[in-house]
This record gives sequence, C-alpha cells and structure tokens, in this order.
Amino acid sequence: MCVTRAGKVVYTSNGRARVEFFDGRALDDIDVSVVDAKKGAFVEVFGNLALGVLSSAEAKRRKQAWIEVAKAAGVAHE
Amino acid sequence: MKADGVLFHAKHAFMPNSLGYCGPDEKGQIQRDLEGDRSNEELVQTLKKFEAAYPFLRLIAKSAGRQVFDYTVPEAYWIGNRLLDLVPVSDFYSFSHHEIKGRDPEKVREVFRRLDGVAPPHHTFYVMSTYATSAVPDGPNITNQARLKIAEAVDNCRISWGTVRRVGKEELQVEVRRVNVDERGLSLARPAVKRVRYNPEVRPFAKVRAGDVVSIHWNYACDVLTPRQARNLARYTDADIRLVNRLMESEESRK
Repeated sequence: MCVTRAGKVVYTSNGRARVEFFDGRALDDIDVSVVDAKKGAFVEVFGNLALGVLSSAEAKRRKQAWIEVAKAAGVAHE
Repeated sequence: MKADGVLFHAKHAFMPNSLGYCGPDEKGQIQRDLEGDRSNEELVQTLKKFEAAYPFLRLIAKSAGRQVFDYTVPEAYWIGNRLLDLVPVSDFYSFSHHEIKGRDPEKVREVFRRLDGVAPPHHTFYVMSTYATSAVPDGPNITNQARLKIAEAVDNCRISWGTVRRVGKEELQVEVRRVNVDERGLSLARPAVKRVRYNPEVRPFAKVRAGDVVSIHWNYACDVLTPRQARNLARYTDADIRLVNRLMESEESRK
C-alpha cells in the first residue's frame, strides 16, 4: 500500500518530476502537474501523484519527524 | 489446502512495492516467493518492513485476537470482512496518530471528528480518505484534467476488482468499475473493459479463465477472489465511498 511521503522536487519536465524524499529514497516520474510544483518545491506525494505543496516550515517539520522515526527504528539517515 | 495469509498479503502488497511506493527494496524477493508459492520466514520479515500495511495488520489482528498473518487478517485489510468491525474506533484513532508515518496529525483528527468516529481500518478507506483530506480535491479551481488524474490515482491505489473477459499471455481484459471524481464526490463509473497485467507463474493464475473475478492493485491482478470476497470487496468499497463523500461534504460546508 502507498504511504504519504514528503520530499523535494529536483527536476521537472512536462508536469512529471524527480522527487527526493526525506526518507532517503527518490522516485522519477511523479506527477506534479495537479499542484503545479516547480523545481525546488517541497511536495507531499501519495503513490505517484503530488497532492500538496508544503511550506518550508512544514517541510522542515516533516523532515525532522522522519529523522526522529528513523533514529527510533535504528535506521541510518543521510 | 489451508489458505496462506502471508502469500495473500504479499500478492496484494507486491505491485506498489515494485513501483517504489512503499515497503523495503527487496530486490525481487516477493515475486520469487509468489512464483514459487513459498511462504517463508524471510518473506514474513520483508512484509513486516512495510511502513503502513504491516501496522494495519497488527491493529486488526490484535482486535480480533488472531495471528497477524492469519488469512482472515490481510483479507480484512485488503478486501474487507467482519474483522474490521471488531476494531474499536478509539484504537484506530490512536493507531492513526502514532503508527502511520507521514500523515498530518491535524488531518487525522479531522477525519475522525467529521465522521463522528466511524472509520474502518480498510485499505480502500485509507487511500480514499488520504485524497479527500489533501489540498487538491477541494481546490476551487480544480480542472477536469486534475479530477481525472486524482480519480486514476485513487483507482490505482485502492484494491479494485474486475471480471475476466479475456485471458492473454500476461494480460487480462477485465470488466471493472473505475472511480469517478466530480463535484459531488467519489462514485464508481459504469462497467468498462480495461487491460491489467498478471503473472501466470503465481498461483492460481495459470488456471485463470473468463468469468473469474480478480482483485487488482496498480493495474496488476493480485488474486482470484471467491464469490464471498468479491461481494465483500464491493460492499466495503461502497461503504468507504459513502464515508469519504461525507468527509468531503463536511469539508465543503465548513467553507
């Protein structure tokens, strides 16, 4: 099943994007056209569709939350 | 032969994992084990690494007093059965706050408040409520094209079902009812035929035939459903849609 993940848009082309997620993974071909996200934006993604653009403050909060979860789970975080 | 809950769960978790949307990078292990019809400890350990699916199974299993991979537990989660009714809403609320990564706590609170505490731990409800509480579907200027994309995404993410009309080598033509999204909310469209992939190496797909009803996740046929399962999936999906439309209606009335 899909989980909601937040990350940064690092490349866009024709409404599709490469998103680097805070959990250290990255996916190409994320559809960012519905939220019109540009390179450098922080987005919330479910499946392969960006559902929202996050403010810098919210993105920072999400990233910190992920780091804490990863620490608790004993997962290394870059 | 006793139905295997590990394999049933793996069949439904496989495609979003292979697309990179959830779970660990397991380098083809799930597919190999499905093709070999092997339920084993290594597969169990892999399935426990799914960030959302496994916690949901634990929640349902605990409420029902069953083992996590008892067949009825993943069946409840993906398809729907009476085990969902045994999960106290207070437990589901607490679980949604503490065990599911990535969801905004405020949105979780809103879902439970606006539905008066009626919310099932069913995969389809999770998917649909995630979209319903996102910033996208209630935007004032949402275009028809955006609606189509959201409908397609919901349809891919949920477990849908289809009646097999034609069997190809690695592709089935199935009659399905897609999710429709419009200003009134979600609904199921009239039946239409679409193509989905399947793996003939995964049991029981070597014997799949026209008339069978299959479960579908991300355009991949996961399993052949029994008539009871097909009825349950339709019934629970219908209930999920009604709940999510209530959620969206109450969002509209707040504006």
